[in-house]
Amino acid sequence: MTRGTLIYAAQRLVLITVTAVVVSSIVFVGVHQLPGTALIHERDTNPATTAALMHYYHLDLPWPQQYWLWLTGVVLHGDLGESLVNRGLQITPLLIRETQVSATLGIAAVLITVIVGMSLGTLAAIRQNTWVDYTASTAAVVGYSVPSFVWAFLLILLTVGGFYRWTGGLIYEDIGWGKLEQIPVPALALGLPYAAIVARLTRASMLEVIRQDYVRTAWAKGLRSRVVILRHALRNALIPVISILGPLVTGIITGSVVIEFLFGIPGLGKEFVTSILSRDYNVVIGVFTFYAALVGFANLVVDLLYPVLDPRIRY
Amino acid sequence: MTRSRVSRFLAVAVGAICLVTACGPSNGGGGSELAADQTLRFNMQDDVTSLDPADVDAAVDITFLSEVFSGLYKFDNELKIVPDAADGMPQVSSDGKTWTFKLNKNVKFSNGDKVTAADWIWSWTRTLRRNHAYASNLYIITGAQDVANGAATTVSGLSAPDDYTLVAKLDAPAGYWLSQLAMPTAAEVLDRKVIEAAGEDKWTEQAATYIGTGPFKMTARTPKQSMDFEPVKDWWGGSTGALTKVHVDIGVDPAAAVQKFESGGYEIVGMANQAPGPDDVLRYKNDPTKSKLLNVYPGARTTAVGFNFVSGPFASKPGAKPGDPTNGASNTNDPGLAGRRAFSLAIDRKQLADIACAHAITCQPATGGPITIGFKGYLGENGDPWAKFDVAQAKQLLEQWDPSGTKRKGLEYRYNTSPGNDKRAQNLQAQWKQNLGVDVKLVPSDFPTLQADRKKKIVIIGRQSWGIDYDHPQDWFDNLFSCDQAKVGRGNDEAYCNPDMDKITADANTKPIDQALPEYVQAMKLLVNDVVWMTIDYGTQPYLTQSYVKGAGYNGLYDFSWLGIKILKH
Repeated sequence: MTRGTLIYAAQRLVLITVTAVVVSSIVFVGVHQLPGTALIHERDTNPATTAALMHYYHLDLPWPQQYWLWLTGVVLHGDLGESLVNRGLQITPLLIRETQVSATLGIAAVLITVIVGMSLGTLAAIRQNTWVDYTASTAAVVGYSVPSFVWAFLLILLTVGGFYRWTGGLIYEDIGWGKLEQIPVPALALGLPYAAIVARLTRASMLEVIRQDYVRTAWAKGLRSRVVILRHALRNALIPVISILGPLVTGIITGSVVIEFLFGIPGLGKEFVTSILSRDYNVVIGVFTFYAALVGFANLVVDLLYPVLDPRIRY
Repeated sequence: MTRSRVSRFLAVAVGAICLVTACGPSNGGGGSELAADQTLRFNMQDDVTSLDPADVDAAVDITFLSEVFSGLYKFDNELKIVPDAADGMPQVSSDGKTWTFKLNKNVKFSNGDKVTAADWIWSWTRTLRRNHAYASNLYIITGAQDVANGAATTVSGLSAPDDYTLVAKLDAPAGYWLSQLAMPTAAEVLDRKVIEAAGEDKWTEQAATYIGTGPFKMTARTPKQSMDFEPVKDWWGGSTGALTKVHVDIGVDPAAAVQKFESGGYEIVGMANQAPGPDDVLRYKNDPTKSKLLNVYPGARTTAVGFNFVSGPFASKPGAKPGDPTNGASNTNDPGLAGRRAFSLAIDRKQLADIACAHAITCQPATGGPITIGFKGYLGENGDPWAKFDVAQAKQLLEQWDPSGTKRKGLEYRYNTSPGNDKRAQNLQAQWKQNLGVDVKLVPSDFPTLQADRKKKIVIIGRQSWGIDYDHPQDWFDNLFSCDQAKVGRGNDEAYCNPDMDKITADANTKPIDQALPEYVQAMKLLVNDVVWMTIDYGTQPYLTQSYVKGAGYNGLYDFSWLGIKILKH
């Protein structure tokens, strides 16, 4: 890694930190605008107890003071506080665990996106205007048009109930989390629409590259097709594909909100929704800040990949 | 059997027959041989709010407390109160103010620690000191509220003449107290040694320190992901039944849970108040094979429309301060009464239940007052005269209430959104329009938003609902309809205050339920006559149970104990 790259990465890290702080402050103000609190329940609670809980969670302090306490807790101790809804639950270890879950799902989804998308795109390009191209292109259009939550419903119908019935209970998707075999189906649901985008981009990019002189030279030298396609054409065709990986990873991270809900996956995305609905302020702020930082990091990683693939790009 | 018992029995029986006949208890599964794996698996959508019996305030949490802890008494599967860790029923003095409990000498915690009367006193004092929602179940003990308010550290009304006798002196006779003690929350016994060592707020977080006297103990917990339980070895109560493990997946919503149930991943869907959704229930009901797996029990929840009694066009005393008397002898002029009655009479509850509750499976039309069918204080079918469907009378009352047509303008119905609530709201809106010609705007929100406005007493017409805590009318009157609760911030969201009714219920509260029931019914009639709540439906509790699972069910308040559940070979 060059000195320039290191400086660039450091600058971006500072920017990510600033972004996270700004996001947390906006969310902090926003979430406190929502009517109702996590401490309101159907059954009446003694007002003195509610007041004691408000005090315990610092909710009786002015907002700036609350935010300052939260921020210093995060910066000095890495402590995001305690859940207001699930009493006694520390948020930092919870979010770390949930991030691991979401990251596992996200990485699997990105792998599916890249492998499926690039394979389809490459196949379509090298077999242009054949049935392979038409099939791959149609599949890409369908994949792109159908949102991930619809894929999720379809895959649940197919792999959970369908497979179970057709195989007499031998093969089926076991909804939930904790086993290796529970990863591919939700990852597929999450990754398919993006795989379609990658496929279309790869095809377009490959079509351009395989007409370049250096590829023609490679053919002329009598190199094997695999070498020409993979080493000479595909590597150069990847640049535009890599450029959309940043927004794609962001999409996958945010897309996991719905997928985790549908597949009962205890990840960050699920927390995102439930914490808002239950007014679990500390968790809401923590999750949003985590998300902001995560998206920033994902984009940084993608940016750092450019010079690896294309030495002409330097920071 | 008294008349009230007979009617209650009949109500439960009719309800159960209506609901269960088509769906029947689970059958099949071959013979009665037990499966090798006796693991019960089910889902929960959200994690528990707390596992500390002193802190809980949600029905979901209670499911687990009743398996891990013991109270002195408990509700059995027929909602009868039976001794749990007590040795027999309490001896109550002739003035009703001194209750003596003999304790079962065999009771011990799952770590082997013995339980004595001192543990009960410590546990109840701790509950009062923490003073969460259900600490009020112990408020009747002399000196309890001093501890709750922080003015004292010991409850003066509690004493232990010996290790196995607990005496409670009450401020007043309380016929409802036994029901409160049977509720598996605030009055459970806890292990002082363990809690003090692990930390007051930390002991519930680790399975190793989550110690109780119940038949099951927690073996693992990953917050917001899963919980595991196992039977306690050499449990003091005897056999712990057939189950060897209970696994609870957290964060699985009802639709996903049904999918997983269908692929054999869950033995039951519906435990811990996690009912399958109406669409799935209907799908099961309409399928001759699947219907055998569906059990629908009368549930402990009433849904209603509440009217504001101090502001808006339905108020009985517009401009009154919440907590001031609005009804009764002190205010016979009620300008909102005809309007409330008109709005109630205009609703065909059968149609509403048909549309909103999967053809009246997930709820039943409510015509017997706020207290749910099958519970003490239920007025019987058509017991609420203003819950009948009578468009002609409704129109007449509407004109009487609002001859100029100004009051009916700009009305809004506030409710917390959910698939069932949305359907209810849309149907109410349609029926009010069709039968009264009144446009009511629907204002959905999430629960905290609605609840915050309810507590401020600013909701004019809004969704109301109450899940029964224990089978006693006092639970309704004291929490929902008393003048004390009508103040801002308290549970009487309509700010209805009828001192005459409060007097009747206060008197009834001092008597045993058999003597008190006629008074509660009298009070309930005042309530329905004033149309505080326009009750629309009584909830049910649907369960999907695999054919090879036996002994699971619902007693109207809680799941049947895991003790009786077994998994047959399949």
